Amino acid sequence: MACAGSRKPSTPKFSVVDDAGRTVGLSGSALRVVSLAPSSTELLFAVGAGPQVVGRTTWCRYPAAALAVPVVGDGLDPNLEAVAATHPDLVVLYRSPSNGTAITQLDQLGIKSVVLRQDLLVDVARDARLLGTLTGHQVAGDSIARLLDSLSALPAAAARARVAIVVWDNPPIVIGGGSFLDELGRLAGAQNVFHDLPQASATVSLESIASRNPDFIAVVDDSSASNTPSFARRPEWRAVPAVRAGHIIHLPGTLFGRPSPRAAEAVAAYARLLNGTK
Amino acid sequence: MILALEHVHARYPGTERDALAGVSLGVSPGELVAVLGPNGSGKTTLVRVALGTLAPSAGSVVVSGRRAGEWDRRALARVAAVVTQREEMTFPQRARESVMLGRYPHLPPFAAPRSADHQAVRDALEACDALGLADRWLETLSGGEQQRVRLARALAQEPQLLVLDEPTASLDVKHEMELFERVRALVDRRKLAAVVITHHVNLAARFADRVLLLSRGASAGSGSAREVLTRETVERVFEWPIAIQAFDDRPQMIPLRRELPTDRS
Amino acid sequence: MKNAGLVALSLIALALAVILGPTSVPLRDLIHSPIVRDLRVPRALLGLLVGGALGVSGAGLQALVRNPLADPFLMGLSGGAGLGAVGAIALHLSGPWALPLAAFLGALAAMALVYRLGLVAGATLDPRILLLAGVVVGSFAAAISTAIVSLSEAEQLRNAMLWLWGGLSGASWTTVLVMLIYLPVPLVILVASARPLDLMALGDEPAAYLGADVARVRRRVYLAASLLTAAAVAVSGVIGFVGLIVPHIGRLIWGHRHRALIPVSFLGGGILLMLSDTLARTMVAPRELPVGIVTALIGVPAFAVLLRRWVGARA
Repeated sequence: MACAGSRKPSTPKFSVVDDAGRTVGLSGSALRVVSLAPSSTELLFAVGAGPQVVGRTTWCRYPAAALAVPVVGDGLDPNLEAVAATHPDLVVLYRSPSNGTAITQLDQLGIKSVVLRQDLLVDVARDARLLGTLTGHQVAGDSIARLLDSLSALPAAAARARVAIVVWDNPPIVIGGGSFLDELGRLAGAQNVFHDLPQASATVSLESIASRNPDFIAVVDDSSASNTPSFARRPEWRAVPAVRAGHIIHLPGTLFGRPSPRAAEAVAAYARLLNGTK
Repeated sequence: MILALEHVHARYPGTERDALAGVSLGVSPGELVAVLGPNGSGKTTLVRVALGTLAPSAGSVVVSGRRAGEWDRRALARVAAVVTQREEMTFPQRARESVMLGRYPHLPPFAAPRSADHQAVRDALEACDALGLADRWLETLSGGEQQRVRLARALAQEPQLLVLDEPTASLDVKHEMELFERVRALVDRRKLAAVVITHHVNLAARFADRVLLLSRGASAGSGSAREVLTRETVERVFEWPIAIQAFDDRPQMIPLRRELPTDRS
Repeated sequence: MKNAGLVALSLIALALAVILGPTSVPLRDLIHSPIVRDLRVPRALLGLLVGGALGVSGAGLQALVRNPLADPFLMGLSGGAGLGAVGAIALHLSGPWALPLAAFLGALAAMALVYRLGLVAGATLDPRILLLAGVVVGSFAAAISTAIVSLSEAEQLRNAMLWLWGGLSGASWTTVLVMLIYLPVPLVILVASARPLDLMALGDEPAAYLGADVARVRRRVYLAASLLTAAAVAVSGVIGFVGLIVPHIGRLIWGHRHRALIPVSFLGGGILLMLSDTLARTMVAPRELPVGIVTALIGVPAFAVLLRRWVGARA
């Protein structure tokens, strides 16, 4: 094994606590990183550690440079053989019950792993700092973190419109107050009508959407503004005034698909979309 | 004759041997015919062929003037009633409801049972001495009681031909005798035609007007009990030594003892 | 008596489904409220129709396979519908009706396959083979669905699974109309098969001797019950339990004569589904529970109470 197992236990140069509460120590910058989540891949490239990424999942497609990195399988329930074959000195995983065993097995193989969970902007900030530290790009990581922290500390913009963000139509699933999309909206002036739900997303009755009467319906996809999502053509959804009036915003997947360091860009795009469709 | 089988051959799909080979049988109203034979000799097959649930490969089957295969099932059920060897009890029901199933061939498609139907059910239960069982749940009844209910159901069909397939299979002597007496009385008083499949050679001999003995799908004798049930014939068909003694002017078969070949080590 | 009571209960369940909801609409505004008119009323009616279809289908299938534990979704239809739905999403089929149509076709394909397998033992559709074929086809379809889900982007397909869990969210006047046009034929077939189904409970041979055309009845009942189930899945996903338990509750009170049991199962299924859906919408408003969970939560205690009373009353 190339990494820690063969050396005498020494004081690690970096020691961080990951999002699962685990203390992870590295004796030097991680130079061969496998990222098992699209959000961490994006973050690694953002802090400048792109050249150090030696493995990604099939779904890690941003930024474009990531496409050149070899694929080692899926993020949830990962292919550990493929991961180990790249001789990584750090593996970044998404915090989820389904890769619990993977983490234990990586520990047994002597491969350092760090578990991240980026749900809100403040998480992205913290993780940017963490990954920056671990990969030797502390300055870049800190700078991104500061940007995001100040962004999330901003007061809510003047509410320009009331929005419901629809993730699925049957049963209707909307974004709640516990999601970064809710945060981004707050900063862009889009007040989430389901902000009172603490979860990141929840199944609600169509009736609630209709009665809360948002000005816009937002969906996260990459189609153009003129493309009506198929659920908007269903008769029962037309009971929602915003659907009937065609007030539907498309939030591009690259910016809005996951909490990312380009949050400021996302907020600006969001505000533009709100203005454009008024 | 209400039932006439002539030189009937029948074979189950996928088998190599005829289940029935050249069997003839005629039954008229007021007659009780017993069909005898060892297991596998084709007795139940005979019932199926007679009532059109198995097509014969050769020969003719005529029920009440029409070929068995041409009868509409509902119409045939108004002429002939069968008490099968086994039936299932998927859902619990009361005796009275079970007997009402016998009225179904008579009920118009969507109408409810009429008072005439309820009366027919009562009459049928009474003829089988089962009126007291009417409101009992079937699965709480004894074997003999269940058999009476099933016979009542068959009578509720108001048939001219009654077919019973091994009706006394699990009954004790009292219920066996009662069943045969009851069927005999129905035949005599109501002029029903009855075919009783049974392996009870002796009871068959006592109660039947005529007997058909089957062996391996073929007829081993047809006629009065005295004509058919000779010692030679019975020994050959049942593959066991017997003696014949007369009782009530009917032959009764008495199996003899025989030492079984054992391997002595 | 009990018939009038059942009808009254249906009307009450219908009324509750229209009056109650996550949004409070005052009684006098009910007629004018677009929410009530465009969402609640069609949803209540769809609950009646889907619940009814499932109840009747369950009654027919239980008699068909001579097994009181038969459920409309035992025969592979839910697996087929799930595969159709998952396939449609994985292939990114667009269109507002893509999902229901795909689920319906998937269910029909499963039905045809099970039917074909059931004919292997002869024209009479042996019930044991039907059951076995149903389980096999359903498992096979479920396995393929799982493979598709595991190989695809988790997000969309997780949501497809939620759709499959069942719910009346897709209710609209259009779906109600479609069901009203579609349901009568299979329902009439089942009603007309009521007497033969009574006879078939005795076994194939006794039934034939009592006048039933067993092969034909089996085919018709299987097709009609499957068509009812396929339609239910297409508009509302897999809502389990209704088809299983409603006929049993019906038998406890009305006996097992299908002439009464089939209409009773229709109304009973409708009542159970309407009440369950009302609860699903209001219990954690504005959120919604999957209706299949609520049908079990209501159905099981109701069944247990009735069963105790019935067991005690048996002589």
